Amino acid sequence: MTRSVAPHARPLVRRREWIVWFAILAAATGGMLAFRTQLNEAHVALLYLLVVQGGSARGGRPLGFALAATAFLAFDLFFLPPFNTLVIQDPFNWLVLLAFLVTSVVSAQLLYRAQSEAEEARERAVEIDRLAALGAETLNAARAEQALTAIVAVIRSSLALDDCAVYMTDASSNDMRLATESGVGAESVAIPDRFLEWDERGGADAFFRPLQVRGTTVGVLRISRGGGLALTPAQVRVLDALAYYAALGVERVQLVAEAERAAALQEAHRAKDAVIASVSHDLRTPLTTIKGLAHEIAKSGDDRAEVIEEEADRLNTFVAQMLDLSRIATGGAAADVQANEAEDLLGAAAQQVAGRLGEHELRIDVNGGDALLFGRFDFAQMLRALVNLLENAAKYSPASAPIDLAAYRDGAWLVFEVADRGPGVPESERGRIFEPFYRRGDRAPDVGGVGLGLAIARGIVNAQGGDLTVSIRSGGGSVFRICVPAIAVDDLINERGATA
Amino acid sequence: MSDDVVLVVDDEPQIRRLVRNVLAAEHVRVIEAANGRDAIDQAAAERPALIVLDLGLPDVQGADVCREVRGWSSAPIIVLSARHSDQEKVALLDAGADDYMTKPFSSSELQARVRAQLRRARLAPAAGPRPVIEIDGLEIDPVKPSLKRGGVAVHLTKTEWELLRTLLKHAGRTLTHQQLFRAVWGNSSGDMQQYLRVHVRSLRRKIESDPVRPKLIVTEPGVGYRFENEP
Repeated sequence: MTRSVAPHARPLVRRREWIVWFAILAAATGGMLAFRTQLNEAHVALLYLLVVQGGSARGGRPLGFALAATAFLAFDLFFLPPFNTLVIQDPFNWLVLLAFLVTSVVSAQLLYRAQSEAEEARERAVEIDRLAALGAETLNAARAEQALTAIVAVIRSSLALDDCAVYMTDASSNDMRLATESGVGAESVAIPDRFLEWDERGGADAFFRPLQVRGTTVGVLRISRGGGLALTPAQVRVLDALAYYAALGVERVQLVAEAERAAALQEAHRAKDAVIASVSHDLRTPLTTIKGLAHEIAKSGDDRAEVIEEEADRLNTFVAQMLDLSRIATGGAAADVQANEAEDLLGAAAQQVAGRLGEHELRIDVNGGDALLFGRFDFAQMLRALVNLLENAAKYSPASAPIDLAAYRDGAWLVFEVADRGPGVPESERGRIFEPFYRRGDRAPDVGGVGLGLAIARGIVNAQGGDLTVSIRSGGGSVFRICVPAIAVDDLINERGATA
Repeated sequence: MSDDVVLVVDDEPQIRRLVRNVLAAEHVRVIEAANGRDAIDQAAAERPALIVLDLGLPDVQGADVCREVRGWSSAPIIVLSARHSDQEKVALLDAGADDYMTKPFSSSELQARVRAQLRRARLAPAAGPRPVIEIDGLEIDPVKPSLKRGGVAVHLTKTEWELLRTLLKHAGRTLTHQQLFRAVWGNSSGDMQQYLRVHVRSLRRKIESDPVRPKLIVTEPGVGYRFENEP
């Protein structure tokens, strides 16, 4: 970037202007000396004024002032009688000389100001042109990365930098990616030891400057130049504007990446749902046939067919559990959380386990009886969790021991409790019994099931913002507790229900 | 009654065969369809008394078959499905299905459901204003209205009567939360779930012998409620 305006012109150029204009001044003086007798003061003053203004225009204010001062002396010395002395005979000539000095200094000053304003306007125009072009270019770029690369290139070229790069923060990790003129790196890069505070007049070779969009830091701009990095106020202004573009560019790259991630995730979910649906269908249809035919054969008196039917049921249970577990594990168990009533859930659980608890009696206690117990949960899924707990209790309890099912309010929580008289769960195993496929060491493997019931129950409860815990029951056995958020029932509904 | 026609719709021949065997004891004539279009055609041509419909058809969505058939036929529809999604069940019942069973189902259960639906269908035309209903120690006169339990009068609120009448009218059939709410309250604004739960609970406390183990108003988890007319 070459600059012609005085304050920032190179020293060499400046010196040449001075030599040229002093030579012109000397030539003018010499020329006028030859015709000294025919000239009056007005001729001399006008010619000198031309030289001073020419010098100011080309060489700037200092040259203008220097030429004015020299011309002032030369005027007095050579063209005001008595010649070749600084003495002035005619007092009116003082007026001429002074008028010349003031006129030339003022005109040099005015010229300088007009010129620098013109230069500034030109610079602004260039700046605006550049930003407009960059804006159009970045909006046009087909890919977010290309836009960012273009911005980096523009920053480098417009500030005459050796190097320019953008460190982008990554929303999904603590790593940073690097964008340079040659493209955006796919790999994450090491974060520089320290990002120096930005100081455009510091004189170092390289600077870092945070890139922010709406108060959020999205990356860091690094700029460097071999011979030091002092920037003019105009350049700082350009950098400010370009840095904002860079910040927007980084944000766009991040948004695109985020959208791609979300789309991929959605696609994965869709594929998973499709697999689950097809596994459901493809496994259950033949199971239906096997079970149905076994049932028919069993009716004609073959005991072995009954075993086939039972095993088909067992396999079906296993398939259902595996599907439940995979839904929970992938966060696909979209809970339909609503206001539900405790007694309704306990009744449905009792109905579902009827005939499946062996000799165990199921005792149900709805705390107090008359109080409405409402909670926020997914009825069908919570039922599954509760049924799993009841079956687990039946599995580990002595044959004659009853199983207790209760619901009560505990502060902000609605609690469902399943209590058995089994061996209890030792402290060391309390966390592990909720792991998939975990089986308690003190049980023979023929107890049935594959150890998924508790894992599924906990997965369901956790997915709904609840908690499932186990503790020792006083008098022997275990208590499994499900806590879900309780709801204070609208008093208005109560009144209506009672009086309507 | 041996001339009742039952249409079995399933793309799996094994399942059709199984259902046919189950129905053998019911003195009905079984016709079969392997896809949705064929099912709709046969339902129109043969006017079956009952339709057993599989959901995983290759051409038409099961729910669409339901809706189409329900447009011009009141024959009960029992849906067979390998999927367990409650939303799907709700959508089916809203589309006009009367009952659903999840694969693998037990043969005796299918038999029982078919029998119940056929009986309901045969009774339906003669339904009219029914006399006093006696069930599980209750005497219900929905017209008067009055309710007696063990000979003692029980007071029901207006809302409870509406709820009970709606359930009785569709006894044996699962009504979705939405259907119940619309029938009783007339619209579906407000916290539908909460209203319904509160009143189902209070009604159960008045008519069930053990409200914690209800036998008359049965909960269909995630779907709705059903009045069991043969507890």
